[in-house]
Amino acid sequence: MKSETGFDHALFDRFPTKDERPEAEEEELKRIWCAPKGWEYLTVVNNNYVGIYYLGTAFLFFLLAGVLGLLMRVQLAAPLMHVLPQATYNQVFTMHGTVMMFLFAVPMVEAAGVLLLPQMLAARDLPFPRLSAYAFWAYAVGGLAFFGSLFIGLAPDGGWFMYPPLTSKAFSPGINTDFWLLGIGFIEISAIAGAIEIIVGVLRHRAPGMSLDKMPIFAWAMLVFAVMIVIAFPSVILATLLLEIERAFNWPFFDATRGGDPLLWQHLFWFFGHPEVYIIFLPAAGMMSMIIPTVARAELVGYRLIVLAMVATGFISFGVWAHHMFATGLPPMTAGFFSAASMAVSLPAGIQVFSWIATFAVGKPRFNTPGLFAMGSVVIFVSGGLTGVMVALVPFDWQVHDTYFIVAHLHYVLIGGMVFPLFAAMYYWIPMVSRRPLSERWGRWIFGLMFAGMNIAFMPMHLSGLMGMPRRVYTYLPGSGWDVLNLVSTLGAFMLAAGVLLFLIDMARNFRLAPDDGEAGNVFGAGTLEWLPTALYSTRSIPVVRSREPLWDDPSISDNVEQGRYFLPRSATGRRETIVTSPLLAEPQYLQIMPGPSFWPFAAALLTAGFFLALTVQAYLFAGVSAVLGVLAVIRWLSETDIRVPEREVDIGAGIRVPTYATGPQTHGWWAMTILLIVLGMIFAMALFGLAFLWSNQPSFWTKPPALSGAVPLALGYVAIVIAAGATRLLHRRGAVWAVVPVIAAAALAPVLLWLDIGVWLKTLAPDASGQGAAVYALLTLQGMIVGIAALMALYLGWRKMRGLIVDGASNTLDLVCMFTAYVGAQGLVATLFARAIGA
Amino acid sequence: MKTWAILLGGLLVWAVHFFGLYAIAEFAPSRMLTVILTVPCLAAEALLLIYALRLDRDEAFTRWRRSVAVGGTGLGLVAVLWQALPPWFSG
Ligand code: HEM
Repeated sequence: MKSETGFDHALFDRFPTKDERPEAEEEELKRIWCAPKGWEYLTVVNNNYVGIYYLGTAFLFFLLAGVLGLLMRVQLAAPLMHVLPQATYNQVFTMHGTVMMFLFAVPMVEAAGVLLLPQMLAARDLPFPRLSAYAFWAYAVGGLAFFGSLFIGLAPDGGWFMYPPLTSKAFSPGINTDFWLLGIGFIEISAIAGAIEIIVGVLRHRAPGMSLDKMPIFAWAMLVFAVMIVIAFPSVILATLLLEIERAFNWPFFDATRGGDPLLWQHLFWFFGHPEVYIIFLPAAGMMSMIIPTVARAELVGYRLIVLAMVATGFISFGVWAHHMFATGLPPMTAGFFSAASMAVSLPAGIQVFSWIATFAVGKPRFNTPGLFAMGSVVIFVSGGLTGVMVALVPFDWQVHDTYFIVAHLHYVLIGGMVFPLFAAMYYWIPMVSRRPLSERWGRWIFGLMFAGMNIAFMPMHLSGLMGMPRRVYTYLPGSGWDVLNLVSTLGAFMLAAGVLLFLIDMARNFRLAPDDGEAGNVFGAGTLEWLPTALYSTRSIPVVRSREPLWDDPSISDNVEQGRYFLPRSATGRRETIVTSPLLAEPQYLQIMPGPSFWPFAAALLTAGFFLALTVQAYLFAGVSAVLGVLAVIRWLSETDIRVPEREVDIGAGIRVPTYATGPQTHGWWAMTILLIVLGMIFAMALFGLAFLWSNQPSFWTKPPALSGAVPLALGYVAIVIAAGATRLLHRRGAVWAVVPVIAAAALAPVLLWLDIGVWLKTLAPDASGQGAAVYALLTLQGMIVGIAALMALYLGWRKMRGLIVDGASNTLDLVCMFTAYVGAQGLVATLFARAIGA
Repeated sequence: MKTWAILLGGLLVWAVHFFGLYAIAEFAPSRMLTVILTVPCLAAEALLLIYALRLDRDEAFTRWRRSVAVGGTGLGLVAVLWQALPPWFSG
């Protein structure tokens, strides 16, 4: 086989090794990856714990939002009910939708990734365990505080997509909307942190030999999911930032009377919002594609097609956002393109569904609980998909827009595409982490109640919608013909809830966490690596992967792994560590030294949440203090990373030696920074789009921008920043002691350039003067944010240099600071030129 | 990088075409412009498809890579054609 990195694949034939491993090795692994005690539960970072915390919290949000759903159903059970007053109903449906989408669905699948991926890839952990812990705590604390707003009557009430002008200061003067904007913006940041972790983990932490074609389909799904988050979420982060700025400082981004445009919000929101549906669906589909072959006792039909379908879904789902805006009067040509893409996106989803059906058909399916939920999911999801194709037809959409038909459609898609697969997954994977599996007998009842309940609740909504019942109404008049349908819906909702309640009881009876050995194990006879025997350090040794279902193809693999006959049977450096492999063919490249438990990610998350909450309630002093302390906590946490160990090269098994430190584009840190820069680039690109959009839609409000020629000195300054950042890397590699100087100088130059640019614009246009002014100053604000971060990074780099931590060969921190600073220069350059060129 | 380009090429061309069409519809609606954009995109898809069909298939990995690339460019080709049609049916 041709090598990707120069690694000789014949070396894989040395495994499994023959010799006995000393027992002390396993003891040492246990010591290094030991279980937490007492308050250490707050500082754990390994995926076994963080994954479970994450799943538990996300499920809690499912229950809370489910209760809100039931409350709405009680209110709508009959006409003119008085359970929820009108204003409270508005808060309840907004919170139900928001919590389900942002606090349950996305975090739940991300959590499944954190828990399952290291096991499936046979890595000791994901590449940035502290980042996972930070992402979890930020989400948990922020999410609970956000949900708490409901109890003090301050919950947002503008619907889960928060359209202005309803949510502008004029029509929503309270801080309810700010809770949504700051809370969601913040939770998105935690989702992005998780996505970075997953992308780098899937591409760089696979067991040796697990080339892309042997990767479990769930890992593929998580990879596409995480890439989609990186592309889609920046748009909603920008949107929430802009709306918050509009509300706080009166910059009219979305105010049509002052040269803004409310449709800009819709574009930004749905550019995120529709891919979001697939962001939720793909991991769930990945789970289904893992469960169905086991349940059907057959290989997955069409593995290649499914991979292709997932990647294609990732692409095409970005071409459908405006189908949520068909009723806003889009130009016919635009509507046509979006209609075409909306129909096209159902093809890849169809491929997956047919592949599952075919796998069931060729195998000998067992109708156990995971199997039932999987089949139920297919039926429900396909029904939702069919109504989706109906609403992709523009004239049909005009008829049913904002009616209960849409409520029915979205629940069929979300419950079929995500909730049922999730229950299948819980029944399927719980034996992997619990001493006992869940009860099969109860499972069938639970499935029955949930399946029947779901259809009884949501099927009638198609009819009530077609009969004209609008969504988001707190009550209706008798005699409209909707009474019986609504009553049936409510009964169905309670039936569904009864199924969930039984599930909780079953969990209480049977779920006993066994993170450190003793789990029930492979009760369904699956073939993938997560079913290898594991403890807190994951598998005892990391196997060589030779097929897609190694446990089916090599019955002795579990024993050999357990006996330490593969890679890394011991700790090579006495620390937490895992093997970093190449992205295509998974050839071992270097040993990553992993950080252990730490208080700082937890503290940083609390302080970040404190910062955002304080901003919401306008406690600016507290916000400032939280921000400063938060930054210090992050610096403290980082100071313990990027450390060299005395052993420069170690034996990772069978005499194969790899370095313990690597630099440059092959490192996991470099990859993470690249992804972060893509996120920033996307936020910036969406801001540029915003400016261009306002220019094309509100030309009468346009002011002639400053001359392009006047920007030449600024542009040269930004080019100098990029060059200085590159020069630092070069000088460092050549051994110059003062190599850090150019990049620090560049970081100091960036605020000066920004200051000069703001001075020029202030002479032309004020930020609250028009949509153009707001959009231009938004670009400058974004630049200001990254300039600030670059300055902090430069200070940190200087501090490390003074402490003697930037030495020859250990340049990762330096590389990352240079990358970021170069990006600051590039973004500054584009912003300066673009804002002057548009409408010149 | 080469392998990623092979795997994703067809869909990347689709993305360029889609966002190009959107930009035309948003900023300068014209049927002619959609044709000017579509023809090179179709040509690119066709070339990529031919390239993908000729790729090695001597090992499991290269076989897999080839079939995903062929599928991706094939799908891209059809999708580009499909999404170029609406201007000819709308007013
Ligand atoms: C126990 C099951 C559920 C029940 C009884 C339920 C009930 C409802 C009802 C009655 C509405 C319409 C509110 C209105 O327009 O006045 C609604 C809206 C919504 N639901 Fe659910 N739902 C359930 C599960 C879910 C799940 C699992 C998700 C997502 C994963 C979800 C996401 C949404 C969203 C996004 C909306 C739109 C909110 C808005 O209009 O702003 N629901 N739900």
